[in-house]
Amino acid sequence: MTSPATIAAPTTAAVEVTGLSRHFGAVRALQDVTLSVPAGSLTAVMGENGAGKSTLMKILAGLDTPTAGAVRVAGEQVRRFDPATLLSRHRVALVPQELALAQDRTVAENIMLGAEPGSRPFPDRRRVDERAAELLDRLGLRVDPRGAVRHLDAASQQLVVIARSLARQARLVILDEPTSILSPAESERLFGVIRSLQADGVTLLYVSHRMPEVFALSQHIHVLRDGRHVGHWPTAEVSPDQVVAAMVGRELAAEFARHDTPAPAPTATPRLRLRGVRGTGFTGVDLDVAPGEVLGVAGLPDSGRIELLRGIFGADPISGGELSLDGETFTARSPRDAIRARVAYLPGERRQQGILPTMSVADNVNILTLGRRQRFGLLRRGALRRDADTRARDLRVKTSTTAQGITQLSGGNQQKALLARWLSIEPRLMLLDEPTRGVDVGAKAEIYRLFRSLTEAGVGIVVSSSDLPELLTVSDRIAVLAAGRLVGVIDAAEATEEKVMALATGAHTMKENA
Amino acid sequence: MAQMTTAPAAPPVPERAAAPAARSPLHRFLHAREASTFLALVVLFALGTLIAPGFVGTDNFLTVGQQIAQIGIMAVGVTFVIINAEIDLSVGSIYGLGAVVCGLLMSSDVAWPLAALGGIAAGAVAGLLNGLMTVGFGIPSFIVTLGTLSVYRGVTLLLSGGSPISLSAKDPGVAEFNLLGQGKLFGLVPMQLVLFALVAVVGMIVLSRSRYGFNTYAVGGSAEAARLCGINTGRVKVAAFTLSGTLAGLAGVLGLSFLSYVQGVTGTGMELTAISAVIIGGAALFGGSGTMLGTVIGVAFIGVLQNILNLRGISSFWQTVATGAVIILAVAADTWLRRRSGRR
Repeated sequence: MTSPATIAAPTTAAVEVTGLSRHFGAVRALQDVTLSVPAGSLTAVMGENGAGKSTLMKILAGLDTPTAGAVRVAGEQVRRFDPATLLSRHRVALVPQELALAQDRTVAENIMLGAEPGSRPFPDRRRVDERAAELLDRLGLRVDPRGAVRHLDAASQQLVVIARSLARQARLVILDEPTSILSPAESERLFGVIRSLQADGVTLLYVSHRMPEVFALSQHIHVLRDGRHVGHWPTAEVSPDQVVAAMVGRELAAEFARHDTPAPAPTATPRLRLRGVRGTGFTGVDLDVAPGEVLGVAGLPDSGRIELLRGIFGADPISGGELSLDGETFTARSPRDAIRARVAYLPGERRQQGILPTMSVADNVNILTLGRRQRFGLLRRGALRRDADTRARDLRVKTSTTAQGITQLSGGNQQKALLARWLSIEPRLMLLDEPTRGVDVGAKAEIYRLFRSLTEAGVGIVVSSSDLPELLTVSDRIAVLAAGRLVGVIDAAEATEEKVMALATGAHTMKENA
Repeated sequence: MAQMTTAPAAPPVPERAAAPAARSPLHRFLHAREASTFLALVVLFALGTLIAPGFVGTDNFLTVGQQIAQIGIMAVGVTFVIINAEIDLSVGSIYGLGAVVCGLLMSSDVAWPLAALGGIAAGAVAGLLNGLMTVGFGIPSFIVTLGTLSVYRGVTLLLSGGSPISLSAKDPGVAEFNLLGQGKLFGLVPMQLVLFALVAVVGMIVLSRSRYGFNTYAVGGSAEAARLCGINTGRVKVAAFTLSGTLAGLAGVLGLSFLSYVQGVTGTGMELTAISAVIIGGAALFGGSGTMLGTVIGVAFIGVLQNILNLRGISSFWQTVATGAVIILAVAADTWLRRRSGRR
């Protein structure tokens, strides 16, 4: 609602959304959103987690039904919100973040699903393969259409999903954070595909947090915040700063400045000391973490950095070496031991390993401190609710009530709730794996701020991340792992992405980003 | 340490303003998980009042209560197992085992309280083994209990030697033992119903108010997340199977007490009714959700349905058909309602 729409009216709109709302009980995921996507354009939709982007995309793909408002696709009003109608009748296809492919079926079968040539119950296999091969060719993906999808990497699977939408002759393709699973090189390939699709007249809706790609690809930018449409500009007429300001509704620059406080001086007794530690996926690791220090851990996904954190926490067995916590020998045989020693661990796989999906925000936050709130063997509900409210408020978890199911929160708010959970044990050491994965700018800034207040209080923090700029921002030192071994520790002041990558990839050519 | 000095100068978050504490009790009730099952029960009640002669009346209701008690007690245990994202197919066989063990002890002139405890203990051991095998071998409980469904039935047949055990009221202690299944509190409320109510209330408190109950939901929702929160997930699951076996053993003892008669095949098929009641009550087979109140309503629903069909003189074969159809309808309706309201 900030800037006036400057789209020339005569071009037909591929999608027109009018007064769209979606309420989940008291939560207003979308509130009276009106926007229009010009045919043939690439239009970006931006916003923090929880801003309503995903809900909007789900509605456009028929995966959710609006509470109020209307959607028109190419002038025709959508009457039934289900994926089949949107795809077959309105030709809208979604490329979701979590790719849903039949892993054991062939590439061709996945692409041609629902569009098989030949008489209905008996698709013509040869033509299925041929047609799939044509589509793969068009996307520049060189894989065997008869091979199982399981053997493809994430980037190729994503292109298979795009090929599938082409097979169904989609006129509008929605890409939901497509680069979140891609390396820079893979992203570049995707951008090429996107440009060629646009040249072929396909309209694209592009959801992303990443400014550079949005500015490189899009012609229009829409911003949602707290379920409302708060801004819209032609890309050429807006700056990234303006977009960020609209997304977060406040200025954030300070949070993303490099961590400039001097690294704490090495103390006689480090918070955590590892000597020759080995376990599944890593070996011979020597590391110290001082109280109040943020140690970044960089490395390719198979470098062992994920396993190292799990090992320290006792989630996987440690097979040798010495660990000590504040000078005392410490070997967690199970997460329980680690928690008792006030060591926290935030898993990278939030949805599978972090949240308790069937429970409320309050239960998720309280799970580690139930013992303190018991009387006669029963849990004191009132006290627990107050605990949860306080903790959720301290970390500014956006939720209508802590009695709400945790899965109804956005990714960033789930992550904040999980941090609130771990802060409840007043940790002295926190092991954080991808703490800001799938988290928007605003929440990211809050998490970084949290790191600072924690380190000021003397907490030792180990952050493992594939996001190098993040590691450079938050860390005092960065330890780099490659193939399960520690290959270097760099002071953050001297670290650059290039230096870290050079270590992480060793002599090999860079294939994936770390 | 680690005091949270959350950062300054942040604008208030608007969503928090919408405090739903002011929701009316009716609104809360309608959004409770059990609401749809309860409404279905109310509809069934209304239907019974209209079409079944003799449906309304204390006597009939107490009869229904007595009839559902044994299934109900089993369903309480099965609820814990299902919320753990596991299943227990062996409770019908454990019911038979508990009854036969108790009957054999009674026949060998063991004091009746010890005989009853013996039957319950047999159930507890059977349940414990289910749990240990599921957790220890790391195989699905569907497989383990499908196996023990057969193993425990076989053991029961072996123990009974294939011939029925009858208790004679003239034998010492039998009259007292029979009070468990046949007695009436204040000469009115069947003792079995009283026991079911007791078990259900305790089960409800454990599930909704104890740390163990909390852990049950956590483990059932995501075992790995629960483990990373320091919960011994194996122990939680083994405890649920043990509880399920114990209560099935207790139900078997009550069955013997009620009929003074048991044979090797007693209890066959009861597992399906017990599981059905839990599912009708709203627990999801994926685990992590469900309530004890829902289970009680589910048990009552099955009892009332069968009672209405009985009163209408409809054959028990049709009752079997009806129970099955209701399971499908109940889950379909619940799924539909949840999809509509955006709950998950």
